[in-house]
Amino acid sequence: MHKLWTRIFACAVGLLLLLFFSNDFGLIDIQETAIVVALGIDAAENGEGYDVTAQIAVPASTGSGSAGNVAVKNAKTVGEAITMLNHETGWYPTLVHCKLVLLGEKVTEKDVFETLDYFLRNDGVEDSCLVAVCEGTARQMFQAQSPVNDISASAITKVLSSEAQKSGIVAVNILKDFAKQYYSVSESGFLPYISVKSEADSQGGENAQPVFAGQNLCYRENAQPVFARQNLCRGENAQPVASEDLRRQKTSADSPFLKKNKRWRPKREPLPISAAATEGGAGGSGGQQKNGDGNADIFQADKTMLFYKGKRAALLDADETLAYNLADTDTGFAFGNVTMDEDGTPVTYTLKMKISKKKQKLFFENGMPVFTFDIRANARISDADKADSILGIAKTLLVDEKILHAAEEKFREELLSVFTRSAAAGCDVFALRQKLYRHHFGKYEKFKDTLLDSVQVRCRITFTSLK
Amino acid sequence: MDKIKVRQICFFLAALMPAAKMLVYPTTLVYRSKNDLLFSALINFALEGGIVALTMLLAKKTKMTFFELISNTFGNVTAKIVYALFALFFFGAALLPLMEQKNFVMQVMYENVPSIIAFAPFFFVCFFACVRGFKSIGRIADIALPLFILSFAVLMLLAVPHAELGALLPVRGVPLKEVLKGSLYSVNWYTDGALVFFFLGHFEYEDRAAVKVLSSYAAGCAAVLLFLALFYGVFADIAVRQQNAIAQMSKYTTSFTSLGRVDLFFIFMLALVMIFRLCIPVQVCVHCVCRSLGVKPLIPAAIVSAALFGLTLFLNYSFLELQTLFTQKLWFVFLIFAYLIPAAALLLKRGERRA
Repeated sequence: MHKLWTRIFACAVGLLLLLFFSNDFGLIDIQETAIVVALGIDAAENGEGYDVTAQIAVPASTGSGSAGNVAVKNAKTVGEAITMLNHETGWYPTLVHCKLVLLGEKVTEKDVFETLDYFLRNDGVEDSCLVAVCEGTARQMFQAQSPVNDISASAITKVLSSEAQKSGIVAVNILKDFAKQYYSVSESGFLPYISVKSEADSQGGENAQPVFAGQNLCYRENAQPVFARQNLCRGENAQPVASEDLRRQKTSADSPFLKKNKRWRPKREPLPISAAATEGGAGGSGGQQKNGDGNADIFQADKTMLFYKGKRAALLDADETLAYNLADTDTGFAFGNVTMDEDGTPVTYTLKMKISKKKQKLFFENGMPVFTFDIRANARISDADKADSILGIAKTLLVDEKILHAAEEKFREELLSVFTRSAAAGCDVFALRQKLYRHHFGKYEKFKDTLLDSVQVRCRITFTSLK
Repeated sequence: MDKIKVRQICFFLAALMPAAKMLVYPTTLVYRSKNDLLFSALINFALEGGIVALTMLLAKKTKMTFFELISNTFGNVTAKIVYALFALFFFGAALLPLMEQKNFVMQVMYENVPSIIAFAPFFFVCFFACVRGFKSIGRIADIALPLFILSFAVLMLLAVPHAELGALLPVRGVPLKEVLKGSLYSVNWYTDGALVFFFLGHFEYEDRAAVKVLSSYAAGCAAVLLFLALFYGVFADIAVRQQNAIAQMSKYTTSFTSLGRVDLFFIFMLALVMIFRLCIPVQVCVHCVCRSLGVKPLIPAAIVSAALFGLTLFLNYSFLELQTLFTQKLWFVFLIFAYLIPAAALLLKRGERRA
């Protein structure tokens, strides 16, 4: 009897092993699968429906993969477009690696959840994927050639990194949070607005700064460079190195610098960033790194689009985006400019602000709603557009009260501008209705429709520095 | 004799009981109770806690099993009929969690949806556990506790930064009727009290055993309430779409963009605990069959495991219907078998306390 059960057990184990090893371990056949890394959704150019562009990764044996764009036109739904991708390419599209959903500008004229609900219905795409709106069409955006990465979607994802969010330049949003905002009582949300700028444009402006090898810089017209990420390729505390400088350092293996520093070794496989910068500096053919004009494209995401009931409500500019981030998102520190009149000459200071407190509160005073921002930050001077004395440079941690007040005032103006512009469009970007519902439920019915118009906004913004 | 220790019952309540409530239960609860889901859960916990307390009270007063109590009062035949009915009840109670778990394994642990046969090995494990009886439940509890504590702690810690507990407000936001409905329609996830009730007579009541067991139950409840609070905090108004809740909550950690989903390691760990938990109602079902028919567990275990496997295949595409059936239509069956009948056991003749 015992022997019989041993045999039955052995047979069962054998059967299970057979089943297990005959399934290719459930792995994907890479030859038959399109690994979609990003999806772009545009309103159909001709007729009804949507034009959906899938950016598909093409792995390469060299390790530096590229991507191809496949577009499906005039699909009635996003789901249909995904199915048609299979028909048109013969590849089975897998969306597990899709980290970005890019909406064309025209799509935002209608409720964007007409398209985005596909991703909520299906677990094919993780709801932690980034969502953004782009200038023009998503298809064009995917065709841009970034110097940061061969795959434009990856370059956009870098611009929308959590580090960029923490420094306040980009208001990043993921699908889950955008859906939460949409389905909340506020019915309002935001998405970063991506625009593309060719390298020539960014260099051509009178006051624009040159492109740096680090590529972790964002630009505004007539403004100082603003650091989106500090981790430049030469180390965290290093200063950004211009592409030409970097090229010289990287390529001149026998330069005096190297001869003096025996411990320094050039990287065997230079970072793609450096390589791109080198090509740009050398003015070579450029290959995939260049757009049609021979210039690289730089993605910018310093604007933010506000939504109400899924439709476009307003577009915040870079300063407003920064103010919104400082007040409402995960931003912990940021750089901002403030211009002062000193002896009849305008002087621009770049302040580095570290947020020590951010609080929003909705309460009632004399029966009327009051909304307060309480924001505190420590500021230090990062730079100024004047040649300061050595003592002034040494005291960079000490910020003059006038500068602090000017910064507070500028921040207040920008914040109020965000509130006013969003409220005018019906957008409750600071989730006041949600605060009313959660904390003053008894008054919700009375005020839910008039809250944005009747609320009094107060800002308590305090910037301090070392004293 | 099929024995289990008080310590193992404590571990069962602290580790295996919460594990059964982390997949589809939260979304089902949110469907009715919305942000007041904690109140619905508290009502269920209070009721189930009553059954656990009652079991300990009976265990203190008598060493008889439930079968012996019925037999003592109504005779052997009645006891066999009641046990046969309970066998059916536990068989049914095992079905929905089984389908939940199958869907969880197939959706979360595989990149492509695999063949249903991938879940088949569970039934061999289940068969083995059923043959081994209550002793194996004790062993399962011993193994499950450390696995549960580690995996649950890590997953909750990963979820905390993304949870906005303000989403649980306002307290009066959902009408009481809906909160009660939420409790009623999720009662099928609260059969642990009934399972503990069937341990009656299979463990030695020791000093302060009731305190230990009820404290463990409270710890298990606290774990579930914490989980539910964080779950709603993370997803708020879109919580109703988050099936396989435990696998969703921890994935938003920023470091995962470079590290990959390391949380899956802990999800696998918790899945193992869930698999163990799935076996227990089937084991109790087989126990009831054996007592009812007076047979050894080998054949009933094989038949019950095979029947569950067959039903899993048959109901592969009917999860929603099954969920609707169990939650919205058969709730009274769960109330009768998991609450009313165990409560009525207080009225049974306990006879002389055996030495």
